[in-house]
Formats: sequence, structure tokens, C-alpha cells
Amino acid sequence: MINHISELYGRQIKLSDLSEELQHHPDIHVRPALAKIAGRWVCTRCQAKLKPTLAGLPSGQFYCYECIQMGRMDTLQGLATVDEPNRFAAVKHPMSWRGHLTALQAACAQQIVEVFKDHRRHLLWAVTGAGKTEMLFPTIEWAIRHGLRIGIASPRVDVCIELFPRIQAAFDGVSSVLLHGKSEAPYQYCQITVCTTHQLLRFYHAFDVMVIDEVDVFPFSGNPMLHTAVSNAIKPSGGLLYLTATPDRSLLRAVKSGYLSVGYLPIRYHGHLLPEVTIIKLPKIAAQIKESRLPGQVMTMIGRLVAAKQRFLLFVPTIQDLQRVGAAISREKIRCRYETVFSADPKRLEKVAAMRSRSLDFLITTTILERGVTFPGIDVLVLKADDRIFSSAALVQIAGRVGRNSERPGGQVLLYCSTRSSSVKACDRQIKQMNQKARQLS
Amino acid sequence: MNCLLCNGQVDQGLTLSQILSFQALTTDSVCSACRRQFSPLNRVKTCRLCGRKLLAAMPDPCLDCEKWRRGFPYPFASRSLYEYNDAMREFMKRYKFMGDYRLRAVFSPILKAELRTTHRLIVPIPVHESTMATRGFNQVTGLLESLKLCECLATREQQKTGRQSAKNRLTRVLAEQPFKLKPDTQAQITAKPVVLVDDVYTTGTTIRHAAGLLMAAGAASVVGLTLAR
Repeated sequence: MINHISELYGRQIKLSDLSEELQHHPDIHVRPALAKIAGRWVCTRCQAKLKPTLAGLPSGQFYCYECIQMGRMDTLQGLATVDEPNRFAAVKHPMSWRGHLTALQAACAQQIVEVFKDHRRHLLWAVTGAGKTEMLFPTIEWAIRHGLRIGIASPRVDVCIELFPRIQAAFDGVSSVLLHGKSEAPYQYCQITVCTTHQLLRFYHAFDVMVIDEVDVFPFSGNPMLHTAVSNAIKPSGGLLYLTATPDRSLLRAVKSGYLSVGYLPIRYHGHLLPEVTIIKLPKIAAQIKESRLPGQVMTMIGRLVAAKQRFLLFVPTIQDLQRVGAAISREKIRCRYETVFSADPKRLEKVAAMRSRSLDFLITTTILERGVTFPGIDVLVLKADDRIFSSAALVQIAGRVGRNSERPGGQVLLYCSTRSSSVKACDRQIKQMNQKARQLS
Repeated sequence: MNCLLCNGQVDQGLTLSQILSFQALTTDSVCSACRRQFSPLNRVKTCRLCGRKLLAAMPDPCLDCEKWRRGFPYPFASRSLYEYNDAMREFMKRYKFMGDYRLRAVFSPILKAELRTTHRLIVPIPVHESTMATRGFNQVTGLLESLKLCECLATREQQKTGRQSAKNRLTRVLAEQPFKLKPDTQAQITAKPVVLVDDVYTTGTTIRHAAGLLMAAGAASVVGLTLAR
């Protein structure tokens, strides 16, 4: 239940979620939740054009089935908004971060500030481990000084959870809030909002500065509803920044057509090159994993890494493979501590925390840990790297888990596959190209 | 076509028996991984009166049904198709409480197949008018769409019934009849066998209220069928 008017600044909320008193507040605009446009019902919140056969209810009403997970929009509902007033307390020294950007990072950061000054749309294509978050700081500082509202969103909840404390620490005098589907904390009107892209469906013309991190990832990529959510959440006068290490085809097309400007950063913050991948062909690997066995070469490698106390991530394509590979390793009686993780794993966050605190030797994981997570000094092994699940972007991201800190900027990325699939080859090529660009810069 | 529950691809693998059956190919509205989360009750031992899954040590009929037999004046047995597990709870939350009417397609083919051969009059449990207005549908009739139904029941406003302390729990529960017969529908059910359909059997009170009302109105016999137990 929404009780205070500030909770409606720049938002679009179901009328029935407002307290009785607030529903009659003079500053509130109410739009019908569904509108008939050219003879067809369109959801006001997510802009989906609805199929009458699916949207109709026996009572004669219609509802939106596209954004229903955020609460049902139907023909009896209204959508309440209060214009964004940018009512923030002035902060003298907003940035508490005392770190430094490298010359290349600073150049990209300056480019981003200019983008928002000019209310433009921009893509920052920076390699994994380039220090994307830190490059946002000058923009955030500038925006806070000008009383602007800042939204940072990512399709992945893990990315948001990891990002939020870093933003909070860097701007500790500034109000900030983290929103995602699983969070219990109530909504608050804040100058900085970190949230999942789904949560943006509840905002309307709110943000002057909008940043979408890891933009190429599921479920954002190829989901028109979430793209609508982003464009609705930005003020008409606002600017938009996309961040990724692996832009997909639609982003590159937007760059080519001039819809987006683009900045590159092909080198990591510590100045070392990306670790290149080693492709190891094992023709029978798929069949062996299916029988819960591992090729001898893989098992030897695992034993050697564990013995050397070299921690690592072991990627597999599917949840079924997690169990199979786990069974194969436990049969081998290597003395090691490990866990398996997948997206719906109820203990996922705890297991990742255990890996981070070094109480595990390795994690066997699906692509859920492909991005947004940092374990210092690890190696990475990918089994069945030629599986359909591993797109070239996923493999580049996985390889990007290695060598992220300056103490161990190198490390191994081992791709085990039965054939050199186009994704495996594309991953190898992209990393080499980025390193080529990096060499030219330095 | 994408899975109604997880939005993933529905695997359309063709089996040899499908090819040889010469029947129209029907694709499930739900992927096999989501479908497996539901636990059907047709292959396990269940209570013959309430349809609950019986563990080894439990008598048939179960103890709850023994109590009902003593307190409920009519013979009544009910059957359920699925266990009310986490997946079913989540389904009900999305279908009924969030109001995603599309999700009826997850179970309606199964429930309808179950009732296709019945000679009984199919009576759905009604929802309250205010629920109907906000939700926009009755979750039970949604699952039975296109079947011929006898919608003779309606909800009635709750009223205080006498001195509560004077009655024991069961008679008290049964005195609070939440349903009424719609006007001019008694003739439709007189001397007819009836199957009452509801979405979930929890304590069995709701469906017995309806069953008692129909028996009192002259139905020949009443059995129950629910999606989940």
C-alpha cells in the first residue's frame, strides 16, 4: 500500500495500490490501465498490443497478460503518476570514492558525462574487467550536483545486488535504493535507484540519467516489453547509457544506424591483456558426461588445480549436467570442497559467498555465473563449450572471469569441446581482436 | 509456442507412437520440465472418500473422513487429480490470485478429459460476486470452459447463526452455509446424479456445503472432483 505522495514521483502505480486518501490527491494523474487504440487494447504500463482472444475475461473486462507479474492491469484499473519533481537535498561533496581512473578510463568517463549533458544515447563497449562501474562515477557525481535523478538497471538481479553496495559506498551521503522482485525492503524516493529492468515498468518519466548494465543478456535482449520499460522510465529530456562487454547484433545495428553513439575500452583497468582461451578437443566428452563420467584429461586437470590450491569455476551447459559432473568428481575421491549452483538454486547466494570467502575450491555452475561476479585469481574450465547454451557472448563473459585483479592478471581459460563450434571460434576471435586493439593503444 | 509457466520453449519432440497413431498432434501449453513439477494422484494410493494421498500407516478412509462420516448426513466421496504441492500452490497464486486467466489452459484439457464421459450433471463451485467483479472470472468454470455446465449454485451473504457455543465444531461449520440454489434451478437437479467441481480441496468444508445443499434439494447423488488436494 502506498501512503506517501513522494512514492509516486516519476512512477506509474496501480490505482488500487494507493491508500484511499492518496487516490484523491490533486497532483496525481490517472491514466486508464488499458486503452483502446485503433480498435485494439493496449496496456498503458508495458505498451503491449493485446490479442483479444487472450486478453478477454468472462466478465467482459480485458487484462494485460504480458506484464502481469508486476500486478494485473485490467480495464477496471487506473495507473497513477505524479510528475517527477527532482526534490533532492543538495549535497556538497557527493562522491566519497577516493580511487583514481586510468587515463583511458577517464577519457571514457568524460565521454559519458558529455552524453548526458547532451541528452543522448550511448553504448560503452568495454572489455570484462575494464572497471565499468568506476567509469560511471564522474557522471553520477555530475548528475547529483545538478539535482538529477539517476537510475541504474540490469536484467540480472545478481548484477544489481553486486552493484548496489559499490554505488552506495562511493556516494555515501546520497539517498539510494535497491529494487528487485525478491527484495523485502519498501520503496523509497531516492536520488539513485538501482534495480532490475523489470522494476522499470513501475517508473514513468523519472530518470534524467539512465544506465543499463549488461544490456545484451537474457531477459532484456529481444524482449520488447523491457525495452518499452526503459524508454518509459527515462524523462523525455533524459539520456541513456548501455554498458556491455559483448554487444549483440541489435545493439551493433543501432550503432551502425546512428541511433546510438559508441565508445570502446579494449583494455582492463590494470592494463593487462585479456587471457586468451585454450581450446581442447575431446570428441567423446558429451557421451561421457551423459554417463556421469569425465574424460581423463579433465579429471587430471581438476586434480592438479585442487592440489595446487588454484581455485576455479567449472561451467556446464545444463542443470542435469551439474549432477552428472558432480557425481563423476565425487567418485574419483579427489580431496576437494565444491558446490553446484544454478539459477533456481535456493542456496545460490550462500554458495557464491562461500566461494568468495575461499571456503570452497571450486564451483560447478551453469551460465548463471557467466557475468557480474568476481572471484579474484581464479581459472575457468568449460565442459561441452560447443553446446548451444554457450553463445559466443557467454563464452567471452566466462573467459572474462579470469585475471580480473592486478595480482594475478593472467590465468587459464580451458574450453573442452567435441567440435570447434562457431561460438567457440567467435569467442576466440573476439578476445584476440580486443587484445589487438589494446596493444595498439598501449 | 512458449511454455505458459516458465516462458521457455516447449519441446515438440515427436514420438513413434504419435506418428503411428494417425491422430491430430496436440502440443502441451506447458514444457515438460514444468509439467513434471506437478504430482498426479492417479498412480498412488488415495483415501477413497477425500482423495488424499495415503501414507503406509494411514487407514482408508482417513481419520478426517471418519469424522466427516459421523457429522455429515449424506454419503459423499471426492477425488482430486493432483497433490497440492509447491508447484500447484504457485500455479494457484498466478492463476487465481494474480488473475492470469490464460493459465486455465494448463489444466483445462486434463480436467475436461476427466469429465468427458461422465453421465453426471457438472456443477461448478461459484465465486462471490465481488470476486467475480475484481478477478473477472470464476477459476473453476475457467477450467471447464466449453463443457456443458449446470451453474445452479450462487454464494450468499454470511449471516450470524444462533448461539455458536451451543453446537459442536462440525455442526457449527456446516450451519454456516455459504451457498444457495439459484431461483428456478431445483427442477434441473431433482433426481439427477451430480459431480461438483472445485479447484482445491483443503478441509473439505466448502465442497460438503455445496453437496449438502444439492442433496437437500433432491439430487440423486453427489460426488466431488477437484484439481488439487
